[in-house]
Amino acid sequence: MERGEIDRRIFSDPDIFEQEMEQIFGRAWLFLCHESQLKKAGDFFESVMGRDNVLVVRQKDGGLKALLNTCMHRGNAVCRAEEGNTKNFMCTYHGWTYDISGKLIGVPGLKDLYRGDLDMSQHGLREVAQLDSYKGFVFATMDPSAPPLVDYLGATGRLGLDLIDVRGDMEVVPGIQKFMVECNWKFTVDNLFDWYHPMVTHMSAFASGILGPPPGVPVPPPPPPLDSGGAMTPDGDELELMGQGQREAITVLGEYGHAISGPVASGSPDPFGPMWRANPVAQEVLGPIGIEIGGHPNIFPTAWVAVTCQISLRIPRGPFQTEVWWFTFIDKNMPPELRQIALFQANHAFGPAGLLEQEDGENWSQSTKQSVGFSSSKIKQLLKMNLGRGKVIKEHGLSRIDGSTNEHGQLWTYAAWAKYMSGASWDEIRQATTAGDTF
Amino acid sequence: MTLEKESIGSDRLAAMFTQHEVERFLYDEAALLDEKRFSEWLDLFAEDAHYFMPLRRTRSRRELGQEFTQPGEMAWFDDPKFVLAGRVAKLASGTAWAEDPPSRTRHIVTNVRVLADDGTELQIESNFHLYRTRLKSEEQSWIGKRQDVLRRVDGGFQIAKRTILIEQTVLLTANLSTFF
Repeated sequence: MERGEIDRRIFSDPDIFEQEMEQIFGRAWLFLCHESQLKKAGDFFESVMGRDNVLVVRQKDGGLKALLNTCMHRGNAVCRAEEGNTKNFMCTYHGWTYDISGKLIGVPGLKDLYRGDLDMSQHGLREVAQLDSYKGFVFATMDPSAPPLVDYLGATGRLGLDLIDVRGDMEVVPGIQKFMVECNWKFTVDNLFDWYHPMVTHMSAFASGILGPPPGVPVPPPPPPLDSGGAMTPDGDELELMGQGQREAITVLGEYGHAISGPVASGSPDPFGPMWRANPVAQEVLGPIGIEIGGHPNIFPTAWVAVTCQISLRIPRGPFQTEVWWFTFIDKNMPPELRQIALFQANHAFGPAGLLEQEDGENWSQSTKQSVGFSSSKIKQLLKMNLGRGKVIKEHGLSRIDGSTNEHGQLWTYAAWAKYMSGASWDEIRQATTAGDTF
Repeated sequence: MTLEKESIGSDRLAAMFTQHEVERFLYDEAALLDEKRFSEWLDLFAEDAHYFMPLRRTRSRRELGQEFTQPGEMAWFDDPKFVLAGRVAKLASGTAWAEDPPSRTRHIVTNVRVLADDGTELQIESNFHLYRTRLKSEEQSWIGKRQDVLRRVDGGFQIAKRTILIEQTVLLTANLSTFF
């Protein structure tokens, strides 16, 4: 880790994947959905925690429950829709029926067959260990001993979510894009901090001429071009790069493995940035460092807060398969013409038809595939950019590194990953993920 | 019942001719895509065209009316013509890595139905199977229905609107770098 080198076998080993299911996805607080998706009693949204399917359900008292989508009788899923509204969950195997709080309220043959021997109070749908929301963002953990959500998020995780929440009265736009990529989930997380790849990976997206600020919003002057470093096209021509690699960057290293990395606000590709950053309330909530963040937070392990005002959840389905979900947030009170532009940006940057993300999946799946070879698996993954040069500044409750584009965010995430995987206690994880003076 | 040639009225002959014209247009369009003649394909779209593929969600039977997202919500494709032009420019840039080496595609268009024809615009439905292979061993396939509005211009058609209803809810592919 000090050398900025990662063992590639973590991207393919099935035993490591099983250990991740237990030590990371069985313990960490995981993003499930946003409260705006569940407006009235009986509204539900099925989310995923590790390999458990979890129904997040709005209750009659206005609260939320997160119930395992498995019948207490023989395990069948009690709900087969992704989302919707229901009065109860009836298992279609034998008819066991649960109310929206998960309480078992109906068992066919209760008198005639069970003869009153079944204690229904003991067989309600199983709940997650802890469920909580931060400003409408719903999280849960399967670990009863996990620290409270607000502590788990810490200043870095909360800032990540605040970067969406401060933009207005936020709600999720109907339609969660869900798609499958044949790759290991860690490549998808690694990539969100990576502001080194767009100038090459996304060259054609920039050539499309579609992604840009809405009318009236000034386009920041392009940064000076980055040196090609000898990179050449297959025809032998020098590779022409855009200047993104030289961006002035901020990286925030958070407790429990959260991190933020990318350009400062003035270099952010977020077209709405100049509008919402001018709001004094946003400045107050985010603080002097937060308001300068123009890059990408990740709530450890898998919730990426994208500058497009979206959360991308990366759900591991197996060592070689990851499901990507995009939640898009918008201010309820946004004027229609701006709403249209915001939706346009969200629909055309990311997602499988997005001009950017079309290329990403290919990189991740090819990187995963090449990590399994007898010889290629022994080559180390390199994260050496700016290694050892990061001076950690501790101000306003955040630990940050100022400088140029770097690979600290990724390295920080892998370091936290290793600590969780070792089976360390929550105290040990917090201590190990508290930034020192350099990184 | 026997069908005498003389008994086919001129309206039925006109409908057959329209059916033939529409099918020929859709097959020629599919050929342009499979031959990667994307700028010629783009020319088939009207300036005010809307190319829309909503998201589809697994909903219970009693909530099936909410299966598809609507315009103004999230979608896979929600493109005015200038976006389609941008996608074509992206493919032509030489740096669209997800399409280099290019996908091999085959568009199978079937079940073509002319639902309405007001003389200016026609409402068309067709089924499609888009088969794609990539690199050495990737194989993908999308099946669905297209609802087209074709506009009569200069003795031919333009696509004024295309809505693509795909059967998958969770998309089983990493990208949609091809056209439907």
